[in-house]
This record gives sequence, structure tokens and C-alpha cells, in this order.
Amino acid sequence: MKKRDVEAIITEEILQHKERYYRLAYSYVKNVDDALDIVQEAIYKAITSRGSLKEPTYVKTWFYRIVVNTAVDFLRKHQKIALVDEQSLALNACGSEDIYHNIDLERALASLTPHEQSIILLRYFEDLKLQEVASVLDENLSTVKSRLYAALKKLHNAMEE
Amino acid sequence: MKNQLEQMREQYQNTQIPAELDHVVQKTLQAGVRKNRQRRSQWQWFSATAAIIVLLTIAVNTSPTIANALAEVPLLKNVVRVLTFRDFTVHEGTFNADIQVPQISGLENKELEEQLNSQYLEENRRLYEEFIEDMEKLKAAGGGHLGFNSGYVVKTDNEQILVIGRYYVNTVGSSSTTFKYDTIDKVNQVLITLPSLFKDDSYVERISTNIKEQMLQQVKEDSMKTYFLDYFTAITPDQNFYLNSDGKIVISFNKYEVAPGYMGVVEFVIQTELISDLLVSAEYVR
Repeated sequence: MKKRDVEAIITEEILQHKERYYRLAYSYVKNVDDALDIVQEAIYKAITSRGSLKEPTYVKTWFYRIVVNTAVDFLRKHQKIALVDEQSLALNACGSEDIYHNIDLERALASLTPHEQSIILLRYFEDLKLQEVASVLDENLSTVKSRLYAALKKLHNAMEE
Repeated sequence: MKNQLEQMREQYQNTQIPAELDHVVQKTLQAGVRKNRQRRSQWQWFSATAAIIVLLTIAVNTSPTIANALAEVPLLKNVVRVLTFRDFTVHEGTFNADIQVPQISGLENKELEEQLNSQYLEENRRLYEEFIEDMEKLKAAGGGHLGFNSGYVVKTDNEQILVIGRYYVNTVGSSSTTFKYDTIDKVNQVLITLPSLFKDDSYVERISTNIKEQMLQQVKEDSMKTYFLDYFTAITPDQNFYLNSDGKIVISFNKYEVAPGYMGVVEFVIQTELISDLLVSAEYVR
């Protein structure tokens, strides 16, 4: 396969599913500008290192991997700690259950490591098959399975509290 | 739990897509593709050039007929003799260096060839390292502009004499240029130095006097020219020089050495009749 054709396949995939990749990036950084930066960096990396795409039919998982790695890298470089003062903590704590359910889950999700987050995001929000999740994260299937269960358990416990 | 993940997923799917996304994606795709094209064309250029050089080298080394035929072509003659051995380049924003190292080939005196080539390489490597060091210092101090350019010209190339002039241009605001010449006798396979041409060191005074006269003459004829007439007293015994294609000695001064910067690198041709009685032989200087 010619390099120019590979380039075309990647371009096509990115153009078609750009919103999907943006959402994934956003879910890591929770901020529009950072998410756009990650998308930009991931696209540039993908196009200029097109040689690393060995099998064009795997373009989807290949690009997911680039986005996930770029996002995780970004988080590592900009390790942010969200500080919450007592007042807003109290405000959130006495909110009605129905409305703040999502926030609880979001918090719970944030308590996971970036790696565990990636598994949950890809499996449940992006609807990837476990095998695909494994290939995005460059791990074998059984590792991903056990990590997924561990992450779910952690989430569950966080919600119970 | 299942239900909550479902809610979360919905929220995830509803992530607002910013209007800029389209533009960012398009722009980045284009930038990436452009970068690839650039890289590809550089590679193509490089491999084509490499192929030609390999072919030339093989042809010249295996067939005396081809070597002679190529030597008749003025441009190729130089290619056969002096090839750029390696390049050092730096392109980082306001920091630019482009260093070309010449390499001589085809001399039978391998010792001389090796000595010159390793000298060229060593010198350029040192300059490259100095450039990197200066660059890091400037960067640490908050940035700046720095340019360095080096390369070579073949000044003379006839049956007997090959002159390689290496130049170094340093740009920090204004620029300074340094030229260094090597004059090689291809027939006798030796490097010609200025003192080796003369019987004793009385040439220093003779040539210096002549240069002063030429400076005065030039200033008189052209009011745009200026030399540091009070400052310049004499050339050094191993003054930078070369033999031009007429077989005359040319004395070279670097920028700022004997004249203000705008004069650049200045050269003086020494008429042979002025020094003929001091020469060891009339072999080189005519």
C-alpha cells in the first residue's frame, strides 16, 4: 500500500469521526481548549507517522490509541489537582439526589487512574469491543478484562459512599 | 450501577462540540500532509544526489577514460575533487546553522588527504559544538538570534593547483566572515604554505609594503573605500593566501581585519615581478 493511500485512509477516518475523537479527548481534560489541543496534536502525529499504521483496516483502533496516549500524556504533563473549598463542598453535598447523580458518577470516574478511565470510556461510552479496547491500549485481552472489573468495582464502591 | 453508567454515557454523548473543531481538524490535516510531502521530496532529492555521487565515484575510480573525460568538464572537475562530506544543520526558530564540510578525494598522497580532511571535519565539528553551546546560553538567557553558515569554494583548479577556500559566517546582529585557504599542489601532492614559496622571510616586508601602496591607491581612486591604514603594519608570515589561476599570490584578509565591516573580506593580488627575486622557484608563482 502506498504512503499516499494510507494518508487518505487516515484523513477520511478523522474527518468522518472527528466529533467522536473530540469527545474522547474532552472526557479526559474537561476543557474545550485542552481538548482541541489534544485533537490537533493527535492528528498531526497520526499523519506524520502514518508508517506505524501497519494494517489500514485497524485505522479506528490505531487512531483511538493515538488520542488516548496524547490525552494521558497531556494529563501527566499538566497534573492538576482540583481543590474544592469547604463552602462549595457543603453546597454540593446537600444537593438533591436526582440532579447530582451524574456529578457523583463523574467524581467517581475521576477517582480512577487515567488508564482505568480509558477502559471505561472506550468500552461503555465508545462501544468498543473488549478486543478492540485491548488493541487500543496495547494490552492483552485478559489484562483488560481484569482491569475493567477492578475499575467497575472501584466505581461501585465510590458510589456507595 | 448499570443505570448510572447509562446516564453517564448519555451525558458523554451530549458533550458539546465546539465550532472551531472543523477548522482545527482541517488545518492540522493539511499541515501534516504538507510536512510529509516536504520530507518525501527532501528524501528524493537526497537519494538522487547520493546515487549520482556513487555512480561518479565508481566511474572515476574504475575507468581512467571516464575520469579524464569528466575532468574536461569544468563543473564536474570540481565535483570529482572536492565533495561535501557532511552537513551539520540547526534550524530552530531564530537559531540557524548550516555547516558544510568539504572533503578532498583523489590525492595520491593519502597522508595529506587524510590530514586535510580530518582537519576540516574537526574544525567544523568544533564550530558546530560552539554554536550549540552559544545557542543554549542564549536560550537560557531568554532567547535571541544566532546564525552560522559555513561552506567552501574552489578558488583555483588547474593542472597543478587546487585551492579550497573555506568560509565561516557568523551572524549575531551584524555578521563576520572568515575565510581560510588551502593551496594544494596536485602534481607534487603537497600543501603549499606562504613561507615555503620564498627563500627567506624578507617577503613579509616586501608584500606588506606593496599592500599598503595598493590600499592608498584604491582609497585615492574610490572615495567609497576605506582601510585601517594607520592600524595595518604588516602581514603575518603565515598570512592567509592562495594562488589564483594566473599563478599569482593573492593575500586575503578577513572582515574587520584591515578595513571596516562594509568592505567585507578584502584581497590583494601581488604582482609577481615585485617578488620574483625572493622566490624559491618559478614553479608555482608566475
